[in-house]
Amino acid sequence: MELELKAAGVTDVGLKRESNEDYFSVDNDLALYIVADGMGGHQAGEVASKVAVEVINKNVQRWIAEDTPYGELFDHPDSALSQRGNYILSGIKLANRVIYELSKVYAEYKGMGTTIVVLSITPNLVIAGNVGDSRIYLIRGDTIEPLSKEHNMVTEQLEMGLISAEEAETSPLRHILTRNLGSAETVEADVFEIEPRDHDRFLLCTDGLTDLVSDEEILELVKDGDDLEGLCRQLIAKANGKGGNDNVTVSLICVENLADKRQGKIKKIWYRSK
Amino acid sequence: MARVILVFNKQVISDYPFTKENMTIGRAEENDIVIDNLAVSAYHSRIDRAGDAYILTDLQSTNGTFVNDKKIVSHKLRHKDKITIGKHLLFFALSKAEQARAKEGELDQTMRLDTARQKELLAKQAERKGVAPPAKGERVGVVSFIDGSDQADIQLSKKLTKIGKAETSEIRLGGLFMAPTAATISRRPNGYAITSTGGTKVKVNNQPLQESQILSDFDTIEIGNYKFQFYTQGSEDEK
Repeated sequence: MELELKAAGVTDVGLKRESNEDYFSVDNDLALYIVADGMGGHQAGEVASKVAVEVINKNVQRWIAEDTPYGELFDHPDSALSQRGNYILSGIKLANRVIYELSKVYAEYKGMGTTIVVLSITPNLVIAGNVGDSRIYLIRGDTIEPLSKEHNMVTEQLEMGLISAEEAETSPLRHILTRNLGSAETVEADVFEIEPRDHDRFLLCTDGLTDLVSDEEILELVKDGDDLEGLCRQLIAKANGKGGNDNVTVSLICVENLADKRQGKIKKIWYRSK
Repeated sequence: MARVILVFNKQVISDYPFTKENMTIGRAEENDIVIDNLAVSAYHSRIDRAGDAYILTDLQSTNGTFVNDKKIVSHKLRHKDKITIGKHLLFFALSKAEQARAKEGELDQTMRLDTARQKELLAKQAERKGVAPPAKGERVGVVSFIDGSDQADIQLSKKLTKIGKAETSEIRLGGLFMAPTAATISRRPNGYAITSTGGTKVKVNNQPLQESQILSDFDTIEIGNYKFQFYTQGSEDEK
């Protein structure tokens, strides 16, 4: 591997809920990071988020190990994506199907669902996939930008120009998802691919954080500092300090020592030509 | 089961139990709750059930929908909310069991609305507001060479397009000073971002590109001696 990844993840029940329906996994060997926010009565939300994370993790691991070609993946591959990107996409779609089938077969799981955010990093590609309203942020230097799309009514209304940004912030439709894993037989996921930079940081989080803590506050807290787990705890403390309405899960990933061979070569050429 | 009670001039006109997934209110006869009054639009507003929640949405009516005397676009109904449409009042009432559940749900529970229903809702809102319906497909970025070379326009069909000398580049450019990957264009949630990856000078609208920026339609991009223009194309423009 030509890069080093440091990562941490922390989840917290918050101050007002009795159970934690969020689930996450941090896997530095696979460079695969997942956060899910489950929903559904009784214990169903917890089941949905856990199943989603485990299905994606296990299958992506297997596909990477076996170098599985596009055609053998679950559901249709997307030609706009890399092979690893298709593994993520297919893993999300497979998790959706598993949760959907479970909720049909077992009465106690009826109506369960979950959001999902998945991040994978290779030396030349960052892949970010999501369904629902959990988020992935890229923190590069002093900037923060989303690498996920929110699938809720408000975002759609906003994009269509039906409501203003101010109306969106207080709209009762904020928590109405237009997509999640588990409620339909198939699902469309948004998957983005970018090139990594040394020192890039990525934050995966559930809406328990972003409902209460602004992008600027997040940037300020996580752009520096080496104790990633400590930073995760600070983010959670911030959300709980503002009411802690919901479960909060955050996972922070940092790219280190990304060997940029190309840059080295180019510098030499420049040097010689002078 | 929730109920909607229609009141006019302090008289209860009718009582509507919420037996379906949604109820529409308006002057036209197809509505579940018909109010025959000129101040009421043909399709004035509707109530959708999403799990335990009831969402009232104004269908861009002429005279508006008010809840507890405040004009709303969409509103999550609570027990005893007063909806005003013209001179008619509608009181929204939850059953005892629903009131108990609503109390638990005060924490803004996340839920999901059936896809077909929310699409319909958005389309209707858009139609009333005179906003174009959402495009069928997303807009796709295109780069077009404007440096006199006769290369054809290139559609950015990948999420990440690499530009440079390397054989694996989606857009291959030659020249002594061309880096294997001089720049990338990635499709992101905020739009198409161009990122300089070092080695070769990249300019956007004549300004050196330091790091990364989101492209707008008709931005010019220079990479070494090559010059392009960026624009986006909807699936309906392609004919």
